[in-house]
Amino acid sequence: MPYAQIYDQVAAWIPPTSRVLDLGTGDGAFLERLVKTNRVVGEGVELDAEHVTRCIERGLAVHQGDVMSGLDQYGNGAFDYILLLGTFQELKPSEQLVREALRVGRRLVVSFSNFGHIRVRWQLLVGGRTPVTDALPSPWFRTPNIHFFTILDFRDFCREMRLRHVASAYFNRRGFVRWFPNLRADIALCLLEAAPRV
Amino acid sequence: MTHAHQRLLQGDLQDQRLGRYTSDLGVTHTRTVTLPGIRTQSGYSFSQITLAYQTLGTLSPAQDNVVLVCHALSGDAHVAGLNPETGRPGWWDYHVGPGKAIDTSRFFVLSTNVLGGCGGSTGPSSVDPQTGRPYAMTFPPVTIRDMVAAQVRLLDHLRISKVFAVVGGSMGGMQALVWAVDYPHRVQTCIPIATCLAHTPMQIAFHEVGRQAIITDAQWNQGHYTAHRRPEHGLAVARMVGHVTYLSEFAMKTKFGRQLQREAKPEDLFPEFFAVESYLQYQGESFVKRFDPNSYLYITKALDRFDLLEGSPPHAALGRVKARFLVISFESDWLYPPAQARELVRTLKRANAVVTYLNLQTSYGHDSFLIQNPEFSRAVGHFLDAEYRRQRLPLKKTTQILGGTR
Repeated sequence: MPYAQIYDQVAAWIPPTSRVLDLGTGDGAFLERLVKTNRVVGEGVELDAEHVTRCIERGLAVHQGDVMSGLDQYGNGAFDYILLLGTFQELKPSEQLVREALRVGRRLVVSFSNFGHIRVRWQLLVGGRTPVTDALPSPWFRTPNIHFFTILDFRDFCREMRLRHVASAYFNRRGFVRWFPNLRADIALCLLEAAPRV
Repeated sequence: MTHAHQRLLQGDLQDQRLGRYTSDLGVTHTRTVTLPGIRTQSGYSFSQITLAYQTLGTLSPAQDNVVLVCHALSGDAHVAGLNPETGRPGWWDYHVGPGKAIDTSRFFVLSTNVLGGCGGSTGPSSVDPQTGRPYAMTFPPVTIRDMVAAQVRLLDHLRISKVFAVVGGSMGGMQALVWAVDYPHRVQTCIPIATCLAHTPMQIAFHEVGRQAIITDAQWNQGHYTAHRRPEHGLAVARMVGHVTYLSEFAMKTKFGRQLQREAKPEDLFPEFFAVESYLQYQGESFVKRFDPNSYLYITKALDRFDLLEGSPPHAALGRVKARFLVISFESDWLYPPAQARELVRTLKRANAVVTYLNLQTSYGHDSFLIQNPEFSRAVGHFLDAEYRRQRLPLKKTTQILGGTR
């Protein structure tokens, strides 16, 4: 997967000196990059103590905890951007999560594996088994994912949650996908904000 | 047996039986200094105070490498290195020294014995200059804020205007928090460990059991005991209760199991003398030799009284805080549980402080910060290192790269 390209896209969406909260920040490598190159004020939330220690080593401010309790630590509007890169599909209360993230931040950056990809459909239809692909590499009994959804599903969800797509980018093994993303993209990346009330 | 288990069985450095223990720092000395007095929160004015303190490492010309280490209930100024008289290591020798988490080859470490203590600082066993006799129970009630005010006097005396980091576990963590809140311009970073925003009824309750054990000991004599007739029994019981709260079920199970300490003797009340009983009795007896019963009353009460916010709304109390925090808790600590640390973190963060929070899986209970603990060591070491590098960046670059504080 072209993860470097995906991260480049996220970095391109985030203006310099923004305040960024990275949910599920891992060892902090990407957040450190944002801090250094985009000069953002960055903080992270991470569950794993070993990863948190790596973040500390990088000089990042990070909160050890799950995403919901992490968000709860912050006041309203504490951040400009909330990052949910690869974590959204692993988290249970999607609606509460989005509401809480938009309380703390102005915009969300979400990435997820597209369950509508042609290979996924093919494996399920012809093979009759839960698909295993580059973007969904683990078998059903080992995957951290609890939600399996397509790009179209996510659009419906955003409409229901009154989220506006500010920008989107889709990727497969070869890089950007422009046409028929729900069939051809392995990974979707969306920049979202609360839709203005009418 | 794994290394982790061996570390666990070793315990902390304060009262354990030590074989041959060598410290990288060699023998270290504690000094005492007489300082201008303070007015306590309770309104009592000391005309002057004495503080015992220890310094390790070298103060940098820019005075930007001061790390103030604050001790917990039973600690003292002797933080690391070997005591010249007893040969025993300081209570945090595992974590303070050259190349250790708090690296004395880089940092100038300063540690004091608290006001109200019995390790050389003014406390209930000191002589009241007005009466010429020990204060005993006429010693004024002290608070964590009073302890910090006394430390401020020492820093002024040493002409140190700013500390790079203030670090402490348990009661030491409370002092660290007070430093960051009450002296925001003098503190760069703050590492409160296994501590809380305010003492809970459960924490107060365990202390009250300890205090009752002391004051109901006939030898306590309203606090007027002599060196030969001290309420040692009461103090030992207090320490035993305390020690139970510092351990975890896992630590006790691993360390003692249901093992018997020895064969029954005819004079024993009961045929079984469990290893854990023997251990607690030893801890009690060892503690009595080095601690003053009245100090125990005053310090536990200072802990119980502790409330960082003291009723003011968080934003008003914490709005001026400038320090960057590393808050550490331990999953197995049931005396100062992680939930309390998270409450502290949340309060600090919602008042816009920059806080890193780490909850370690160390299974030794509240004492986890006093034992050999590589995960803990690494986190503290890395944090100090990263923050020290950040501090040394030119100001313009700092705001540019790191965007200052949120």
